[in-house]
Amino acid sequence: MLQILTDTLRLTLPALIPSWRFFKAVQPSPRIEWRSPDLDEHWQAFRPRPTHLSPITILQRMIWNPRWNETLFMVSCSERLTAEVTDHSIGEILKPLRQDMPHKATTLQFRLKFIDRIDGTLQEQITFTSGIYPAQHKGRDNDI
Amino acid sequence: MTFEIALRLTEILLGWAILQASLEHLSLPHMPRMLFSLRATLAVMLILGLNSSFTLTLLLLISILLLHHFQGPYNGGADKMGFLILTCLTLAHLTPPAWAELALAYLAAQLILSYFISGQIKIMNLEWRTGRALSDVFAYSAYPVSENLRALAHKPGLTFTASWAVMLFEVTFPLAFFHATALYLALTIAAFFHLSNACFFGLNRFFWTWLAAYPALIWLQTRLIGA
Repeated sequence: MLQILTDTLRLTLPALIPSWRFFKAVQPSPRIEWRSPDLDEHWQAFRPRPTHLSPITILQRMIWNPRWNETLFMVSCSERLTAEVTDHSIGEILKPLRQDMPHKATTLQFRLKFIDRIDGTLQEQITFTSGIYPAQHKGRDNDI
Repeated sequence: MTFEIALRLTEILLGWAILQASLEHLSLPHMPRMLFSLRATLAVMLILGLNSSFTLTLLLLISILLLHHFQGPYNGGADKMGFLILTCLTLAHLTPPAWAELALAYLAAQLILSYFISGQIKIMNLEWRTGRALSDVFAYSAYPVSENLRALAHKPGLTFTASWAVMLFEVTFPLAFFHATALYLALTIAAFFHLSNACFFGLNRFFWTWLAAYPALIWLQTRLIGA
């Protein structure tokens, strides 16, 4: 009970007394890559953004943008995962990944690639590579 | 603007913001459907003004459950602002009039701070003052909604001008509080700022949520200065 109360305070206080420090600095930015080891060894970008969006699509997204908002939540989970590996962050990243997996895939693995400007040039660093998971969710997530 | 009108407008705008977000969640297959269905229903009740105290209390409880479920805000600052508005609205309904006014005044003060602090921390940062930070947002952050927007990173004149426009607007925003016309003008510019963030970075929920806090600030301005 005390733990729930402490967690609730930890989660609600930043909203009740916000810091409002948006974009204080541009932090290293995560990208999620995935592969299905039983199908292909190559890593693929998860939900690569389109080259171009029409003004009408942009306006429609003012009202309806669930996949993009989910992708932004996965960015948060990637940042959390880099700070501390938790089953929750892994699970939240796996859910949309599984949804987008090719039907014939039986296994799934993902990794986090962070992009940052170091000494004036953009550099990439892999900060986390997951275990291999079933491509379809069957109860609790355990590495294969 | 009277307190009652500000309260009602805030309810309608927040109700829409919650309904919009809840319907988006319901379209995703792995979301807790019961919770978001209930949240969407309560959002409609809030818009219609049905049993507002009960509706707001339940919405607040669901928001706390969702914070636990996602181990933090799902949509970063937009969810934080939404939770703040919800808390202030709930207090405004459940407490005596003087405390109710304080709750809405707190929301108005936080709205001013949301612009001022985010401007102030940027203006203190050399990367923002040179326009490099905004260039980097376009160059490699996860936010640009399409690849062709990344080309804006290579337009230093544009990112420099846009950075200073945003920073100067944000740090001078509190001054608008002292004149009704200036406040309406500042809120209109702020709404367009959120609209551009939604277009460039897909932050649609920020737009709807921040708009919901505007009536509180207009009311406070009338209450303290405008009259």
